[in-house]
Amino acid sequence: MNSFVERYSTTSATGQLRRAQRLADEEDEFSDAAWGSSAGFGNIVKGSPSFMVPNTPDPTSFLRLHTDDHADPSCRIKIQHGTTTLAFRFQGGVIVAVDSRATAGSYIASGTVKKVIEINPYLLGTMAGGAADCQYWETYLGMHCRLHELRNRERISVSAASKYLSNLVYSYKGMGLSMGTMVCGWDKTGPAVFYVDSDGTRLKGDIFSVGSGSTFAYGVLDQGYRWDLTDEEAQELGRRSIYAAGHRDAYSGNTCNLYHVKEDGWKFIGNYDLAQLHNQGYGYEHRVEGRSSANPPEVVATA
Amino acid sequence: MAADTTAARSIVKMKVDEDKIKTLSPHLLMAYSGEPGDTVQFAEYVERNIRLYQIRNLYALRPSAAASWIRRSLAESLRSRRPYSVNLLLGGYDTATHDPHLYWIDYLGTISEVPFAAHGYGSYFALSLLDRGPLEEGLATLKRCIDEVSKRLVVSPGNYKIKVVDKDGVREVEL
Amino acid sequence: MSIMDHNGGSVIAMVGKDCVAIASDLRLGNQALGISSNFQRIFPVTDRIYLGLPGLATDVATLHERLRFRLNMYTIKEEREIEPETFAHLVSSTLYEHRFGPYFIEPVMAGMSKTPSGGLKPFIAATDLIGCLNFAKDFVVAGTASSKLYGVAEGLWEPDLEPEDLFETISQTLMNAVDRDAFSGWGGIVHVITKDKVITRTLKARMD
Repeated sequence: MNSFVERYSTTSATGQLRRAQRLADEEDEFSDAAWGSSAGFGNIVKGSPSFMVPNTPDPTSFLRLHTDDHADPSCRIKIQHGTTTLAFRFQGGVIVAVDSRATAGSYIASGTVKKVIEINPYLLGTMAGGAADCQYWETYLGMHCRLHELRNRERISVSAASKYLSNLVYSYKGMGLSMGTMVCGWDKTGPAVFYVDSDGTRLKGDIFSVGSGSTFAYGVLDQGYRWDLTDEEAQELGRRSIYAAGHRDAYSGNTCNLYHVKEDGWKFIGNYDLAQLHNQGYGYEHRVEGRSSANPPEVVATA
Repeated sequence: MAADTTAARSIVKMKVDEDKIKTLSPHLLMAYSGEPGDTVQFAEYVERNIRLYQIRNLYALRPSAAASWIRRSLAESLRSRRPYSVNLLLGGYDTATHDPHLYWIDYLGTISEVPFAAHGYGSYFALSLLDRGPLEEGLATLKRCIDEVSKRLVVSPGNYKIKVVDKDGVREVEL
Repeated sequence: MSIMDHNGGSVIAMVGKDCVAIASDLRLGNQALGISSNFQRIFPVTDRIYLGLPGLATDVATLHERLRFRLNMYTIKEEREIEPETFAHLVSSTLYEHRFGPYFIEPVMAGMSKTPSGGLKPFIAATDLIGCLNFAKDFVVAGTASSKLYGVAEGLWEPDLEPEDLFETISQTLMNAVDRDAFSGWGGIVHVITKDKVITRTLKARMD
């Protein structure tokens, strides 16, 4: 009964929302054909972005019903999962390493996905969860970081940038946004890594790994990590951790993209094929080749 | 010369001093985890049947034979009215060929001989370390795995019991 | 996720000129977690019949044991080696016996069968999990990568391939298909059965 009243009443919150939407629809500036116009920025250029929400009394629960694929694998809107991303802080800056596999169910849709988003020359964002969500919001974040620079004549801190993103995604909480990202960079305070996800969690830390393969990456990462790692050691650790995750996790793999953030901004170190890394000595069977674990007792000399 | 396949394994304890690694025969160990109740029931069932075989035949089952028998028991139980949900790691030293063997067996009756293995949530942290671990120092690698699981797992178990089986039989070790 | 995808793994068989080939990957997984990269799911039945069992790994072992038992009984009773066609029906009826609680396996068979004139001709077959037989003349596929295998095989297979060419074709088909499947891969194995011998080779594959 309550929902019935709400649907048709003109004074309830949703009624007003609907009216606002109707008004927005009538206004030419808010056309939904925004992509392709407004220099590709869509409705972002109008100030705060506005999105179409499902025209139901409770859009949040409607979206949750149709996007939560853990509860219901046959739901209508499937969000891309499966990834390994990691970032850690050390004496020489920040290492960011990610895999490049995109899966849709058991199908490997792509092996060449770029999961590091270059927000600006000093900021990197990693991508786990919904590909479109991460790409869109981190690009959007980049725009605001630039505006911040222009307004304040100084670069935005990693902390502020991540807070901006965190607040943004938090305002859409429950509507099916899915992202787990690390915002990494170098600011006045030195190297910094922040973990931000679509629940609204935002954490500052030294070591983070996100995605289905994160546990495997953590295993290698934690045991090999020291603050005073050299640049080469740190890059190797990042690469080795992604390899470990790519090996064991079905949803991670293909290649590893490696970035290193230093005082003068990030640098792309390289793209490494995990199959090649495996054959170049990372692989277990390559390391045990020709060895045996047989343990016979000592042969007593015969007469 | 013990390589990394020396069947030294550990498993979570739910009680502070519960031993979840059964010694099935002089050169055979079985670590078990899974549904409370099922685990101990099944482990004792296996233990007694392996012992019975040894009494009847005056020699113990070899690791591969024991593994096949245990797998079959689980596979038959899977399609019964109430299946056991027990996951196992079976490690043994084959006194005939002087080879160590390690079997990964799950409650469905899936079996696989592997150089190293883990069950449960800990496996998601430990396996990547085992893939990487140095080949000679089995116990040191095991310690790193335990450390990692304690560090990252939300419900990390406190104490571990570690047993080693090799040509001299079964012994318990401290890290 | 389907129970058929629980452990992952795929098998393919192809017909060539006076030869057949059967190939599979070597992954054993527990959902997304890889457990073993040396899990054999193709078994020799006789000197010229091979059987691939993709599907739930516990049933791979159980069904293999069961079929080996029934095959031995057949061999003892008949006092001769089984023919591929007969074996296919044996597999089919074994599976159909469990119509209402099936083994989660889709077997693939490859072998050389005797012709009335005393020669040997290639034979391949596959069944679904309750034993519906499919005698194909070109290739058969099964497992988590089956949809991808169909695509690649459809593009690469051609009639009357010599053993070495058939090996190349089936290997390329398998490798390229499993590289697009999250639950298959971790190495591969190929058996090429000819009139007088079986060539077995393991394939080096991507390990991710």
